[in-house]
Amino acid sequence: MAILIERRDPLTQAQGVEAGYAQTARRWPSQPLVRRPHTPAELSGPRVARRLPQVRGDLAGHGDKRAIGQLIRLRVRVLDEDGAPLPGAVVEAWHCNAAGKYIHPNDTHDAPVDPNFYGAARMVAGDSGLVELRTVKPGAYPVPDTNGWWRPPHVHFSVWGRVWLSRLVTQMFFPGEPLNEADAILMAIRDPEARNRCLARLVPSRTSELIYEYQLVVRGRKATARMP
Amino acid sequence: MSRLVPTAEMTLGPFFPREFAEGVNDLAVGSSNAIEITGRVTELDGRALDNVILEIWQADAAGRFDSPDFLGWGRAATDAQGNYLFRTVRPGAIPGRAPHVNFLILYSGLMRQLQTVMFFDDADDPVLQAVEQARRKRLIGERISANSYRFDIRLRGGEETPFFDD
Repeated sequence: MAILIERRDPLTQAQGVEAGYAQTARRWPSQPLVRRPHTPAELSGPRVARRLPQVRGDLAGHGDKRAIGQLIRLRVRVLDEDGAPLPGAVVEAWHCNAAGKYIHPNDTHDAPVDPNFYGAARMVAGDSGLVELRTVKPGAYPVPDTNGWWRPPHVHFSVWGRVWLSRLVTQMFFPGEPLNEADAILMAIRDPEARNRCLARLVPSRTSELIYEYQLVVRGRKATARMP
Repeated sequence: MSRLVPTAEMTLGPFFPREFAEGVNDLAVGSSNAIEITGRVTELDGRALDNVILEIWQADAAGRFDSPDFLGWGRAATDAQGNYLFRTVRPGAIPGRAPHVNFLILYSGLMRQLQTVMFFDDADDPVLQAVEQARRKRLIGERISANSYRFDIRLRGGEETPFFDD
């Protein structure tokens, strides 16, 4: 199945250097990115499930081992640009605890670690491209060495699509958070609709968990999908 | 069928789980003809970067991308001195392409993934030829010994590595 990858749209994808995010000016290349032809090397991709085991799918725990915070369930569908689900897609997710603290030695934020919260999951999408993650809602936290920039609650995702060029690393945000509109990472997406699609959708729940739905759309569509 | 817009890419951030980058930088497990690719990742002013995540994708020694015996994918993180290490096999040529290793770079301060390619010599390759001549040498791994290569990655400034847009 031939896959087409089209050039990124600068309205729906962040550009390299953002004024509100100082590190971008030290790390994004100063030279223009080079256009290259796409060959089987770029339009094939690794079957990473062979190497990367599934880990967790539940970060919140149970009983007296339950993580502190608002219990949530994320229902995330992995699709390609044709809207076709990607069963078997590997999805990594990670986020901070309800107090805004990551399980990572480099996190210096003065917030408590939650012994019952882990913070990292790896899942494989089912038949309809669905992955589900039970966890607690992450907190906000201040970014060190900035003038009052607080990251809004967000969940990181890393996804493998059909081919090497469909690799997607992104963040999902929560609706109605006042910090969203001041976040240099979310606001780097210039198109308001594209930005809106980075917010999870709260759906009715009759269980003890708040349920959010989300879509992860990886790059690539079937070459036959568009006729002249 | 209506067309969906790809989800906006965002930075990996500084807190990628350590466990996700451990134990997967050896692509050549069980192979007796492995090579090592090492290098240092730096930013503007040459400062070394800690915990940069690099992923590679390459053909097997016979130039196949779908080998049942060789996944062709690996992930490494830089240490506090900015150094990374992959153990792999030297990829074979594929039709129309010289032997090469695709690199993906993810890090805080990178709003999107960066893509570059390591070649083994100044080969006749359409991706290498897409780069202006004066910068091509930045994409050629330096042979240190019979089975080890060095490929430094400078994100910005100085001897900046060429990166690709797709």
